[in-house]
Amino acid sequence: MDRRSFLSLAALGGVSLGLGATLAGCSSSQGGTGSQSGAYKAPSKDLKATISYAIWDVNQQPAMEKIIAGFNKIYPNIKVNIQLTPSTGGAYWTKMTTLAQGKNLPDVFWMNGPHIQLFALNNQLLPLDDLVTAGAVKKTNYPKALVDLYTAGGKFWGVPKDFDTIGLYYNKDLLAKAGVPEPTSSWTWDDIKTNGKKVSDHFNKSVFGFAGDLTGGQTSWYNTMLQAGGYIISPDHKKSGYDLPGSIKGLQFWADLIEAGISPSMQQLTTTLANDWFTSGKLAMVMDGDWETAPYHQAFGDNLGVVELSKGPKSNQCVIHGLGNVISATTKQPDAARAFVAYLGTKDAALVQAEAGVVIPAFNGSQTVWAKSIPGLELQLFLDEAKVASPYPISKNTSAWNQFETDILPAAFAGQTPVATAAKQLADKMNAALAKE
Amino acid sequence: MSTSTAEVTAEAARTGSARSSAGLRRLLPDGPWPWIFIVPTLFGVAVFYLWPIVKTFYLSFTTVGVFGGSTFTGLANYAQLFTDPQIPRSILNTAIYTVIVLLGIPIAIGLASLIERPGMRFRTLYRTLYFIPYVTMPAAVGIVWRLIFNGDFGPINWLLSLVGIKGPYWLATPGFALVAVAIVGLWMSLGFNLIIISAGLREIPQELYEAAQVDGASRFRQFRSITVPLLTPSIFFVMIMTVVNGFQLFDLLYVMLGKANLAMPQTQSIVYIFYNEAFIQNNQGYACAIGILILAIIAVLTAVQFRLQRRWVNYV
Amino acid sequence: MSENLTTVAVVTGDSTRQREVTRGRGRTQSNWGAHTVLLIGGIVMVSPLIYQVVMSLSTSQQVESAPPTFWPGVFQWHNYTDVFAQMPFGQELWITVAITGVRLVGQLLLCSIAGYAFARMRFSAKGIILGIILSIIMVPAQIYLIPQYQIIQGLGWLNTVIGIAAPGVFSAFGTFLMRQFFMGLPQELEDAARIDGASSFRIFWNIMLPLASNGLWALGIITVLWSWNDLMWPLIVTSSAGTAPLSVGLANLQGVHTNNYPVLMAASLMAMLPILILFVVLQKRVVAGIGRSGLK
Repeated sequence: MDRRSFLSLAALGGVSLGLGATLAGCSSSQGGTGSQSGAYKAPSKDLKATISYAIWDVNQQPAMEKIIAGFNKIYPNIKVNIQLTPSTGGAYWTKMTTLAQGKNLPDVFWMNGPHIQLFALNNQLLPLDDLVTAGAVKKTNYPKALVDLYTAGGKFWGVPKDFDTIGLYYNKDLLAKAGVPEPTSSWTWDDIKTNGKKVSDHFNKSVFGFAGDLTGGQTSWYNTMLQAGGYIISPDHKKSGYDLPGSIKGLQFWADLIEAGISPSMQQLTTTLANDWFTSGKLAMVMDGDWETAPYHQAFGDNLGVVELSKGPKSNQCVIHGLGNVISATTKQPDAARAFVAYLGTKDAALVQAEAGVVIPAFNGSQTVWAKSIPGLELQLFLDEAKVASPYPISKNTSAWNQFETDILPAAFAGQTPVATAAKQLADKMNAALAKE
Repeated sequence: MSTSTAEVTAEAARTGSARSSAGLRRLLPDGPWPWIFIVPTLFGVAVFYLWPIVKTFYLSFTTVGVFGGSTFTGLANYAQLFTDPQIPRSILNTAIYTVIVLLGIPIAIGLASLIERPGMRFRTLYRTLYFIPYVTMPAAVGIVWRLIFNGDFGPINWLLSLVGIKGPYWLATPGFALVAVAIVGLWMSLGFNLIIISAGLREIPQELYEAAQVDGASRFRQFRSITVPLLTPSIFFVMIMTVVNGFQLFDLLYVMLGKANLAMPQTQSIVYIFYNEAFIQNNQGYACAIGILILAIIAVLTAVQFRLQRRWVNYV
Repeated sequence: MSENLTTVAVVTGDSTRQREVTRGRGRTQSNWGAHTVLLIGGIVMVSPLIYQVVMSLSTSQQVESAPPTFWPGVFQWHNYTDVFAQMPFGQELWITVAITGVRLVGQLLLCSIAGYAFARMRFSAKGIILGIILSIIMVPAQIYLIPQYQIIQGLGWLNTVIGIAAPGVFSAFGTFLMRQFFMGLPQELEDAARIDGASSFRIFWNIMLPLASNGLWALGIITVLWSWNDLMWPLIVTSSAGTAPLSVGLANLQGVHTNNYPVLMAASLMAMLPILILFVVLQKRVVAGIGRSGLK
């Protein structure tokens, strides 16, 4: 069956099931050739258009260009212009917000968890449900947590592009010197503490046992909060979970590590980041994201090991976060933009990303290239974690309470305020902010 | 020795000539020329700068949606402003920072007068050396200074350890962090101050010094009685700019302290709070109120300085 | 008395310089103290930059190690050539020069005439207007980003050199600077010219402006520097790589999780080199022969 008739059939099927997307809420009616409502049909191959694609990572630009080349094999007359904006200091988001106010957002652009609801629920994006019902994008191709991340207000907004999960990296050499066994997937929090203490004691605090990056939650306290049975935000994104007993246990874990001298102090961790402690051989074990695999391997070679996170009282779950490709609501080329976004969600595009090795692509089954990219390291663990991971905690105004986290929690980790008090304070502030959304 | 001719001249310049010339000029009209001279600047400033300020002022009485749209809320933002505990502390932090950076002015004056000494060799070298920090890109500067102030591995603490002092975690300890940031601010602004003061120094006629020398005045005496008084317009300018820029402290703070920093409450500047409210809390209406507050503070400080200038600034 | 000063100012540039040089020879010995102070201070000022140069010649690992390696051993000169592979340095340099050129010419012109008007001319509400103009530097600069973006967008100047340069052509700071410099000049010259019947414009153009050249050079250097390093505004106003200046290119070098610090430092040093060279070269021109001459 040729592609076009299949899609038309699928579209009819979608409409008849009442799943056809309506674009009534987000009109994109300035000129352009697009159909505004109803089923999605892949545009004709010789559609002529120029669209802009905004990204923020210079390390991924070569891969993006390759993907565009692949896209142009199907749509030779759609020109895609990459716009690179730095991510440092939130510059990308300042720019996107400015462009949005000027109704001048790029046609297609990278989106992340913290900002998806902000843009989507404020009518800045084009819903992609019609792509789904037309079969151009299949939700089952991506980890469920990611699909949930990019669903808001009952609509689907972003095609998952890649994902990150968290693992436990270790320095075999340092562990051997301290007479400590290498971590395995059956380790628990207590194992971390005991063995971490042995390392710190053996090296007399010139080398630390275990740490995580406490300047943000993704590679540290979010995970331990989940592992102790708590959560950061309720699944409906309306209530803070910081004051739950499990959450407090998860936070206490880090305060205990610092107090026992297993981890560098809070002052040390903010002036020298955890990954730098690890890379310089001054930290034996670190909880970090999969993006560190290549750099750590470059630093340590065979001396590097990685394993799943250790089990807390309830599980060894971690958070999963990934970028998505979204379309601006005010795009003047909705057809071309949708065709491009659909292509970005295909296995071909995912394989290009996998080969480039910078990120783990979101398309299920395309990641084996990445998983096998470093002989000697079982990177499959990151992929396995994705299946059971919890979606990155977000809400409509995520950045607001993210700021509260980094305002209030450092004092708790440093032992200056009791963890339970800080957690309650944070929960109250967070709930107040969530109520305003 | 009694006051030299040069000092008398400088003194007279300060008081005498102003009076006689003013009388003369009142008799002659300037015609439309003043307006022709200022209209281009006025127009551009009005379009690109005053309009945003007016808009900010208006928005400070509203709640603003992230992507536009505002609802009038009256004085709610200002009420919040006066009860927000962060604000007074951040104003204090910014003031301390500014005072430390102001110390750079006497340093710049001293350095400039040494460099501009007649017959001084290697002037170009010195000017370049002191000017270089002003030329570097702020992003790179922040990274380098973070490493310099690093509590575990930075050179400053290493030097201190040589004399037996255990240096603090500069950028993560309250108090020390503000000092560290201010030192960098001073370092960066020294070049700027030096340029202005040097230009002002070159305005001073050599003959005044020569006459003073003939009268037997020491170098320091000359400095005190000729250089400093005639330099006061430049000093005034540099003071105003230091205060204005000091209250704009943000980028440096952001780069040097980073996130989750224990010292942040005792270091954050008022513009940092503004940025937080505007772009992170997405509370633009409240941020506009903060912006107007900053404007008010700096305006008052500047107006005070302008008032006081009559006492000590000598326009020839 | 004012006559003294006038006489004093009538010395020509030539003889002033000659006297400087003659006096200079006699004074060199007594400058040792000054040289020591200046040299020590200079080294302190420059040491972070020396460190930056060292970083640019190291490997990534040496820079990020804790403690950082202060001497790389093998010089990694390739970091400098890597810059060209990672960013369109030449093109961005050219864009930066263009933007800076527009702003420089605009500011020198507009700020000098406005500054002169505020310093010497009499017109109603002068003080209030000056105050209003000064107020624009008293607010956080970020409040201008969105409104200015919308104005430039309305003018259709997005992604153009003129669009990036336009708001920076008008400067309250520059106007204030020139006002101070003009106020530091003696009024006798103007009065004499006025008695001779010269119009305000001629007085400004032929007499006051040349005398304020020190101020103009200062304004010029500061404007060039500010424009060279200006980041947030060009970042927002340009979407295409074709109109990005150096500051944006440098920021783009910073990756999300990994930073190639040595290349970043190398690029940043290369970016500041043109300005430094300009400063050194122009310095000599600025110093030579500028004095309060001209009243004959």
